[in-house]
Amino acid sequence: MSGLMDISNDEKVRIARDFIRAAPAGEFREVVNDVRVLLGDDALLTTASDVFYEHATDQFCRVDVEGSPALATKEGSVDGSKVFYDPGTGKNFTYKYLTGEATNIEPGVRDNGAESWRKALEDALAVYLKDNFPAFGSAVYGKLDGDTVSLTVAIENHKYNPDNFYCGKWQSKWTVEFPTSGGFAKVVGEMKVQVHYFEDGNVQLHTKKTTEESVQVSNPEEGAKNVVEFIGRSEKEYQLGINENYREMSATTFKSLRRALPITKNLVDWHKLHSLNIGRDLMNRTT
Amino acid sequence: VVSTQSTGDLMRRMPTHNLSKHLGDLVDLCPKLTEELLSAVDQPLSVRRDDMKQKDFIVCDYNRDGESFRSPWSNIYYPYIEGYLPPIQLRTIEEELNKAFKVYTDMYYGEEALSSVYVWDVEGGFAASILIKKKAPETGDTWDSINVMEVFEKMGRPSHYKLTTTVLTSMAVKPGDEGDEEMMRVSGSLTRQKEEDFPSESGHTTNIGQMVEAMENNIRQQMEGVYFGKTRDVMNEIRSVTAGTSRQKQPSAVMMGGGFGAELSGVLAKRKPIQ
Repeated sequence: MSGLMDISNDEKVRIARDFIRAAPAGEFREVVNDVRVLLGDDALLTTASDVFYEHATDQFCRVDVEGSPALATKEGSVDGSKVFYDPGTGKNFTYKYLTGEATNIEPGVRDNGAESWRKALEDALAVYLKDNFPAFGSAVYGKLDGDTVSLTVAIENHKYNPDNFYCGKWQSKWTVEFPTSGGFAKVVGEMKVQVHYFEDGNVQLHTKKTTEESVQVSNPEEGAKNVVEFIGRSEKEYQLGINENYREMSATTFKSLRRALPITKNLVDWHKLHSLNIGRDLMNRTT
Repeated sequence: VVSTQSTGDLMRRMPTHNLSKHLGDLVDLCPKLTEELLSAVDQPLSVRRDDMKQKDFIVCDYNRDGESFRSPWSNIYYPYIEGYLPPIQLRTIEEELNKAFKVYTDMYYGEEALSSVYVWDVEGGFAASILIKKKAPETGDTWDSINVMEVFEKMGRPSHYKLTTTVLTSMAVKPGDEGDEEMMRVSGSLTRQKEEDFPSESGHTTNIGQMVEAMENNIRQQMEGVYFGKTRDVMNEIRSVTAGTSRQKQPSAVMMGGGFGAELSGVLAKRKPIQ
């Protein structure tokens, strides 16, 4: 662990990146601030700041682009650094990691080869999201690669409530691939939930699930409907499954760690225990 | 001072399943704070073997001397050194507490769990760390209790007991059947403090025992509310649990904790007053 000499600058930068990467959703700024104080060298923090992109895109950070809730994702990255494309508005924006703002908003480039499929999915998804999330950010990307249409859906909602000591996020990503002529699409989904509760403690929920299915996509509207149906069904099942796991943990797992009370259903009789031990010791000494 | 605020804040945000790595990184980054970090940041407990008594014991800062750790069973350091040994009166209290907490640990955690108690001198009294480690055999889930009790004795007056307890736990749901890959883990720590005065006639073992038991029962109850209630409720705020399903509406956290609360308060009301 700690040696007699200070560690190298490269190691310090590595450590800074590791801490920032592990920041819970909604606590990015606080963690960066802590790391800044502990590094004591802003030049090193600047070197480590390439991890900001990784953290924001892992978390699908939501950002307001002309009134639309856009997301910072790897799929939407234009330069692998801080410029992103929002398919909803068709605009490029520069994401300011520390303030969470979008600046330099400019027209982006749309891949028109996949646009009818993409737009249909975006429209169908909007209805689903409004019905199932109190708020949300989303992005539906589309591209045509030779004969294959690739659509990627990113969904995110969060609740950041530091005054009440908690932050949480739900996110999911769905990739849809099929031939331009239509037919069957392979849909792969990954859903994640994280919650951090920190009143007089540090308690975290981390859960992840991947799933996949073959979905019929004969035309944009029908395809969109079927994909959204699969997304909705999967997300509902996942959420109900988590709730079920909680019930199981509380009823079984927790009890097998520590009982609420001894099997006698009474608290320990410490007076009796103490006398028994004294008695036993006296016996051992006299025999 | 600013540094320890930052280290404390940072460690309270890191996921606890990777705690050792983050703590190691922090010590490397701030070597001047090493002692402070190692004693202030609670980590899951490690275990060593007492070869002489053929028993395991828990290792922590309170039984450490250099790179060696003292076993509460044989009172010997492993690896062997002529290290600090508690004076005879404290060693007697330490042996007594170890015996009493072995029974307590069996009753609440089962015989697979391990406990160790270490006692040392403090200004105006003594301190004891009561450590318990449990690992559920089938699931690998873990529970670590770190109780640090300070006892201040005053001539002709009740003794003052100050307890700080941290419980670290990690529970995971194993991956499901082939096809869908899934993972779920709830883990972390809760820390609580309590101070009480007790007449010394009842004896330290009884006073310490009752306080630790009440504290751990209280934390366990709060854990139900936080681990299984709060974190779940936050998720259900973020995405609506769909209405119109065949399942019942999810019970609120308050309802879930209600059963244990009622049972426990009934038993506590029947407890014998301290003589």
